[in-house]
Amino acid sequence: MEEKDYSTDPEWADITPIPLDDGSNSGAAPLATIAYPPEYLELTSYLRAVMAANEMSERALKLTQDVISMNPAHYTVWIYRARILFALEKDLSEELEWLNQVSLKYLKNYQIWGHRQALMSSRTHFPELSAKEPDFLMEMLAQDAKNYHVWTYRHWLVRHYRLWDSPRELEDVEALIKADVRNNSAWNHRYMLRFGPRENEPDGGMVNAGKAQTTPAEKGVQSVVDEDVVDLELRYTQEQILRAPENRSPWWYARGVIHAANRKLGEWEGFVSQFVSADGNSVKSSHAVEWLADVYAETGGHNAKAADMLTLLKEKYDPIRKNYWDYRIRQLDVVSA
Amino acid sequence: MAFHTERHVKYYLRCLKTFLPSLYTSNDSNRMLLAYLTLSGLDVLGVLHDKTTPTERQGYIEWIYHCQVPSGGFRGFSGTDFGREKLNRENAVWDPANVPATFFALVNLLVLGDDLSRVDRRACLQWLPKTQRADGSFGEVLGVDGRVEGGRDLRYCCCAAGTRYILRGRSGKGLEGVDDINVAQLISFIEACQTYDGGMAESPFREAHGGHTYCAIGSLTLLNRISSDLPPMPLLTPGTRQFEAMLAFLVSRQTAMISDEPEDEVLDEIPGTSLDEKIHTLPDITPEAGDAIPCAGFNGRCNKVADTCYSFWNEASLLMLDRLSLVDETRNRRYLLEKTQHIIGGFGKCAGEPPDLLHAYFGMVSLAFQGEPGLKRVDPSLGASESAARHLESLPWWQP
Repeated sequence: MEEKDYSTDPEWADITPIPLDDGSNSGAAPLATIAYPPEYLELTSYLRAVMAANEMSERALKLTQDVISMNPAHYTVWIYRARILFALEKDLSEELEWLNQVSLKYLKNYQIWGHRQALMSSRTHFPELSAKEPDFLMEMLAQDAKNYHVWTYRHWLVRHYRLWDSPRELEDVEALIKADVRNNSAWNHRYMLRFGPRENEPDGGMVNAGKAQTTPAEKGVQSVVDEDVVDLELRYTQEQILRAPENRSPWWYARGVIHAANRKLGEWEGFVSQFVSADGNSVKSSHAVEWLADVYAETGGHNAKAADMLTLLKEKYDPIRKNYWDYRIRQLDVVSA
Repeated sequence: MAFHTERHVKYYLRCLKTFLPSLYTSNDSNRMLLAYLTLSGLDVLGVLHDKTTPTERQGYIEWIYHCQVPSGGFRGFSGTDFGREKLNRENAVWDPANVPATFFALVNLLVLGDDLSRVDRRACLQWLPKTQRADGSFGEVLGVDGRVEGGRDLRYCCCAAGTRYILRGRSGKGLEGVDDINVAQLISFIEACQTYDGGMAESPFREAHGGHTYCAIGSLTLLNRISSDLPPMPLLTPGTRQFEAMLAFLVSRQTAMISDEPEDEVLDEIPGTSLDEKIHTLPDITPEAGDAIPCAGFNGRCNKVADTCYSFWNEASLLMLDRLSLVDETRNRRYLLEKTQHIIGGFGKCAGEPPDLLHAYFGMVSLAFQGEPGLKRVDPSLGASESAARHLESLPWWQP
């Protein structure tokens, strides 16, 4: 922020700042009081004044920038700024350039991404997607490849520009998984690209959940499945599992794919069995042990074998979840009783 | 190591009675939340009434009411208030009620023992449905032309369900002619947020997250408690695929990974040509000797390191599902007390980090769930002491 004294600036001479009223004059004892820097108090007192006047001006725009630099989580300053940008018909590409810098500075901020979405929503300004956008998102993900806000925004972008089959989208996801096979955010994005709904469904978009007659159990299951896509995804996932067999992400991704395709976990029994020796003394992945337990329970009549697998997890490979594996063993008895 | 009650009391009193450092300026808009963490923190420690005078508590109550917006609901902080005499139809949009802040303001009043008699219940509950979208989700504030602003986000859903719970109560007395939120649509949105690995995401098809899972279960629990006519909810029903998958997600959040140290390497040069050959050459994993893992906190997402606040989000979720006994409470306690409890009181986010209000509160409440001596029992869905929850139930609109 450029150091600026609003009270002596001729551009602001006609504005009477509105100081913070924290209620102290009316008997309130303010809570969560902050040792505000004096310039923040000054900036926000001018902000209140221009907001009260509902002023749409260049100077107000600059003021919002200064406030944001001290408090990027201010929830109305962003809405006010967006309003001014559209009212003054500003160049939104310039705004994005500025926003990129703010985003790189405040990685954990939430409002920045709402603002970006508000700008990009304008079909008039951004009828099609520029490659600059995924470029910038990859720059953000280079700082933190699991940044939740960035992925939420990227998800929105996919839906907005219908990018499910965009080569760039899948290339980026594959590059991120290649760089870190444990990046669960990238796995999740891949799932959305492959199996997410492609229309704006009234229920919020979950596959098969739109109709009232759909039972909860059918939600998330695809009504139409491209079996080739499913096979390719499962094959890709197996290769990624080999890179880090204890990595939970691809194992659960595969479970999701199998469920979406309305197939059974038993389909992978041949693959998974190779990670666990028959006597259980040699194990190459604890997730394979859990998978086998589920396959045995799923096929019925094999609860004893399922219990053996769960006992392996409880006693040897996952002691932190001892109580949970015990619970799962008890569940087997309940189901078979 | 022990829970240092005295140091925690001192930490909270410092936050209550002296200025928070200027570092908190970027959290100015969240002051109602910071107030909640402070007041409720002292309440859970059982010292709110001993360490504050009736005059002080009355002053705090006045500040919360000072943040009430004339058209219903509460601001997140006093900073958007430009004065009642300047308020008009055009500029009211820049001083809106805020969905999370409204919930925290109400909880704060309950914690302080206020009877909510000065809350404009009708106005607040008339405003609340306007912040709900057609898909059932809630936003943060109303923007220009009544547009719902803020992400499609389970956190807002949870705060909206909480506000409805507090102000509607069991009888809904005094709310004749006030339309309710669309409960069925909210439930449908929440159900759509369950992901392929069982947890709940911020919105449909986003990544499963412990905090959002808490918001989903919290919302459903609060909706369920005051509406007897709702259809059974699979997410809250043991034995359903949805319930058991969510449970698996929640218990999987407990982790011994407490710092960003590199994990096992990635095996990119596995000998062999076929998948089968490659699997054959993979090394065996070593059984984990229980005593080699002294502590285990919780993370929020798959493959992330432990973080103090997730001990709360995940354990509170499990407590609402009546499944808290499935986690390793001993290792969680050791993680919190030995790794993130701070010498000056409070808890930090991760091992060795300085304390902050959010992690101080949620770390402590996780211990309260596990029965830490000296801490009050906490209602996991309201996020406040059971005594505050009982006080709510004594209010007029909660009576049959």
